[in-house]
Amino acid sequence: MTTPMTTPMTEPVYHPAFDGNGFDPARAEGAGLADTRRHMWTAVRLGWQVESNWTDPLLFFIYTVAKPVASLLLLVFMVQIVGGTGAAGEAVRTFVVLGSALWAMLMAGIAGPAWSVLDDRERYRMLKYLYVSPATFLLVLVGRGVSKLAVGAMGTVIALLFAVVVLGLRVDLAAVNWPMLVLTLLLGLPPILALGIGLAAICLQTRQESWSYPEAFAGALFLVSGVVFPLSILPAPVQVIGLINPVTWWVAGVRGAILPTGASSIGGASSLWTTLTGTQVPDGAMTIAVLLLTGAVSTLAATALFRVSERRARERGLLDLTTGS
Amino acid sequence: MSTLFPTRETTADPRTDADWTGRRAFETNLRALVGRAYPRVRGMGREPSWVFFEILLPFLGTSAFVLVYRALQAPEAYVGFVVLGGAMSAFWLNVVWMMAGQLYWEKSQGNLELYFAAPMSLMAVLLGMAVGGLIMSGTRALAILLISTAIFGVQFHLTDWALAIPVFLLTMAALYGLGMMLASLFLLWGREAFHLTNLAIEPVYFISGLNFPVARLGALGAVAIATVPLAVGLDAMRQLAFPGMQGLEGTPPPQTEALILTAMTVVFLVASQRLIRTIERMARSRGSLSIRWQ
Repeated sequence: MTTPMTTPMTEPVYHPAFDGNGFDPARAEGAGLADTRRHMWTAVRLGWQVESNWTDPLLFFIYTVAKPVASLLLLVFMVQIVGGTGAAGEAVRTFVVLGSALWAMLMAGIAGPAWSVLDDRERYRMLKYLYVSPATFLLVLVGRGVSKLAVGAMGTVIALLFAVVVLGLRVDLAAVNWPMLVLTLLLGLPPILALGIGLAAICLQTRQESWSYPEAFAGALFLVSGVVFPLSILPAPVQVIGLINPVTWWVAGVRGAILPTGASSIGGASSLWTTLTGTQVPDGAMTIAVLLLTGAVSTLAATALFRVSERRARERGLLDLTTGS
Repeated sequence: MSTLFPTRETTADPRTDADWTGRRAFETNLRALVGRAYPRVRGMGREPSWVFFEILLPFLGTSAFVLVYRALQAPEAYVGFVVLGGAMSAFWLNVVWMMAGQLYWEKSQGNLELYFAAPMSLMAVLLGMAVGGLIMSGTRALAILLISTAIFGVQFHLTDWALAIPVFLLTMAALYGLGMMLASLFLLWGREAFHLTNLAIEPVYFISGLNFPVARLGALGAVAIATVPLAVGLDAMRQLAFPGMQGLEGTPPPQTEALILTAMTVVFLVASQRLIRTIERMARSRGSLSIRWQ
């Protein structure tokens, strides 16, 4: 677990004007694809090391398992306690279990870049060094977010296995719409990371106590994303927020792919979706299309927010500001 | 600030100056307590974003659980359980993030050496952190409680105020006592502090019955009542706020739970005092405990 970080040795690419002595003009030019790939991979590896090498594999496994399973149980008990039995109760439980398991991954992806900013600025005090490294700062944060997302995905898989083995969740693997599942999972990753980058942009401006901000933000998203209950029980204006939120479509797409005959979190009687479109629930193609659209908009918005925040942080000297209270 | 930290007249004789009376030690520790609470309270005004992130968004998170019960057409009392749990979670988050992990953060920031070197008790510093944290999280808890009560129409039937107030205060004492104890332990565990802090959220929420009566967890709930202040305090307050409500039976009455909280407070405070002495001794003998990156 304590393998030292090594950067793959690649042949340096020199600028045509470089005479072999002094300053190479290529160093001041934008990074090429190979550089970008290498920076990204290094950031992912750095993130993975930070996430995993603080303890032995057993404790890391327990840590990875305990959080998502506890979150899952918290919700499953709520359903059980209020009489979630019979076929209807089983359907609600399945709906909740899937949403809750996916939440582990979502939470990690959203919190990852923000925690990286706080970690590197407040704890390790390395943010300014990362910032002045040849890698683009945004790329570094995306890489850190990807590693965090990978840890979260492990939590999701473990929570699902726990649900199948211990809680008796029934998933018919033959009925799973695998192409839809893979496509939705992949298309959902950029907007999830984008939300994390947006939050990182906010945390660049705030102080050490921002540790709880990602969790608070995710908690609010939990309300409007149809994770554990259908959007239709929310007031119409809040449903609008849910419908323009890519997380809603990602969760609905993954859930719909795993349980094609299960309940949808988006449509249904008295839902805004049904009122607006006249259809009961969005089909797979519509789900993918809206996920793409909302994902693209949120990614662009998060990138713009990050650029503004980055510029302000540089102007005000916030990159190496440490706080405490 | 000048009244908070008055300048002390120096004596001509260093021996006299070093010979502290009990009153002088008490005054110094009191100033240390106030001084440590000060940045937490003042910080609230200097970082207005906390109103959005620590009141509005957690309220929305609590609302999500309320709506789960509403979607399941659960009895209205369960909505009250969630709202009370949401308010209490503010204190737990404060205890784990800003108490348990705090000495470790201080070490990372290089402040811990100053604490050890200053002529004050580290217990005063921990108490100051607790008081400041209590004010911060109390504001958040109150806001969640008031907003949720107004929006979801939760009706509390609190009649026994004479018991409810001591139970709440004992819950806070036990929670922050636990935080003070964990602060020393997390410092010893070093880099794992952050992850342990993170780990102490959802699993503790679950075994404490944050969104449902802890009695429904059976034996696990009984263990939680005996060991986790959040579980016992929350259950006692639910029994007092919703007397006779279905689902709350199966746990000790609030009077007994108040005694459990008292015992927890004593144990945690004594343990934290011993642990802080231990780490102070280690800091002086090893010379590494208070230094960053070691």
